[in-house]
Amino acid sequence: MTKPMIRIHDIATDEIIDREMTDAEFEIHQAEQAVYAAEAAAIAEAEAVKEATKQTAQAKLAALGLTADDLKALGL
Amino acid sequence: MAKQTFTTGQVLTAAQMTSLQQTAMGGGSTTAKTTSYVLVAADAGTVVQMNSASATTITVNTALFAAGDTVQIQNVGSGVCTVTAGTATVSTSAVLALKQYDAGSLYFNSTSAALFFAADAADNTSPLTTKGDLYAFSTTNDRLPVGTNNQILVADSTASTGLAYKSVGVANGLTTTGDTIYSSSGTTQSRLGIGSTGQVLTVAAGVPSWATPASGGGMTLISTTTLSGASVTLSSIPSGYVNLVLTVKKATNSTADGNFAIEPNATGATGYNWVTGVYDGTAYAGNSTRVRTLTTQLRTNDANALTTTFYNHEQLDWTAFSMDGGYYSGDYHALNNAGYCYVPASAITSLKILNTGGNWASGTAYLYGVK
Repeated sequence: MTKPMIRIHDIATDEIIDREMTDAEFEIHQAEQAVYAAEAAAIAEAEAVKEATKQTAQAKLAALGLTADDLKALGL
Repeated sequence: MAKQTFTTGQVLTAAQMTSLQQTAMGGGSTTAKTTSYVLVAADAGTVVQMNSASATTITVNTALFAAGDTVQIQNVGSGVCTVTAGTATVSTSAVLALKQYDAGSLYFNSTSAALFFAADAADNTSPLTTKGDLYAFSTTNDRLPVGTNNQILVADSTASTGLAYKSVGVANGLTTTGDTIYSSSGTTQSRLGIGSTGQVLTVAAGVPSWATPASGGGMTLISTTTLSGASVTLSSIPSGYVNLVLTVKKATNSTADGNFAIEPNATGATGYNWVTGVYDGTAYAGNSTRVRTLTTQLRTNDANALTTTFYNHEQLDWTAFSMDGGYYSGDYHALNNAGYCYVPASAITSLKILNTGGNWASGTAYLYGVK
C-alpha cells in the first residue's frame, strides 16, 4: 500500500525532501485521520440535528400562523 | 717647486721661475704616491698626489713645516685617501677623507697646527637626477626623489634623509561625495567610501565601516515553502529570533474540507501540552500536540490563509501562540482568533503544517523571524 507523501524543508540547507511516510508516521497518521473523520462526522451530525431542530421549530411556528419576523417583532 | 731658501743676489733660472709660477697658480711640482705617505719638510709648496685603488693615508706631523707653508693634496686613485693628523693637529670644516678626484690644501698656522681646506670636487657633484628632486643630506649629500602628485614633504625621522613625501591631508584620496578619511594603520590615512542609504557607521576589525543596521524589531523572511503532501515540516529553524511568524496563504486541499493544524517540533502523540487557551472564542483547556483551527475551510478555496505567531519560541518556561486564520466556509467568511500558552520541552526548531482534510493541493508557507 502506498503511504502518503510528506514534505520536509530543511531550512539550514534549503533542501526539500518529498518522501513517503514511515510506518510509524503512517500509523499515527491513520489514527489521526480516524479522529478527524470522527470529529467531522460528529460535527456533521450536530449540524444535522441543529438543522432538523430548526426545521421542526419553523414547522411549529407555521402551524401557529407565525413567522420568524413575528418572533423578532415580539422581541424573542 | 719645493720650498727654497734664496740668497741675496741669487739669479733665478728659467726653470725655477716656471716652477715658482706654477706654484703661485696652485700647481707646481708633484710627487706621486701609490701607498700611504707621511709628509716631509720637502713637501712644502708642492703637490702630493695619491693614486691608489686601496684606501691610503697622508699623515701630518709636527716640526716639519713653518707657519705659512702649504701642501696641496690630491687623490686621483679610486681608494679613499684620508688626511690624518699624526703629531700635528689638522683642523677642517670639511671631511678629511678624499674620494677619487677630491683635493685640498694644508695650510700651516704653526709648525704643529695645520688647517685643511678641501676643494672637495667629488662631494660637490649633484646627486639629483629627476625633475623635482631635492638636495638632502643623510650621512652624506643625498638625493630626495620627488613625490607623487598632491603629496607633501614632511619630516620623517625614519627616512635616511629625515624627509619624506607622504599622502596626508583631507584632500587626499577622496573621490566621492560623502567619503571620509580614517587611519587604517597608525598615521596611514585611508579613504572610507560613502555607504548606501540606511547604512550606519560601525567598527569591524578595528576600523570603521558602513553596515546595514541590525534588523531589531523587524521581520526576516527565513523560508518559503510550497505546500505539498500530507504535511509540510519546516526543520532546522535557526535560533537567534525572539518570535516566529508563520504565514500560510492560498492553501487548498486535494481531499476534503478540513482545518489548519500546526505541530511544533513534530513530536507526535507525546508532544506538547497546551496549558490553557481560548479556542474560537470558547474557553479551552486540554492537552494536544497541535494547535488547530476550529472553522472548517473549503478545500478548494485559495483564499484560505493563516498567520500564527510563536512568541518567545526559544524559551522553555513558556511560549505563547496567537493564531489568526481567515477562511471561506461556503456561505460565510470566517476569521478565527485564538491564543495559546504552553510549556515547551525545548525551543521550537521545527513546525509541521497540515490540514485535517488530507493532502495539500497548493499554497505557500512563509516563516519569518522577529528580533
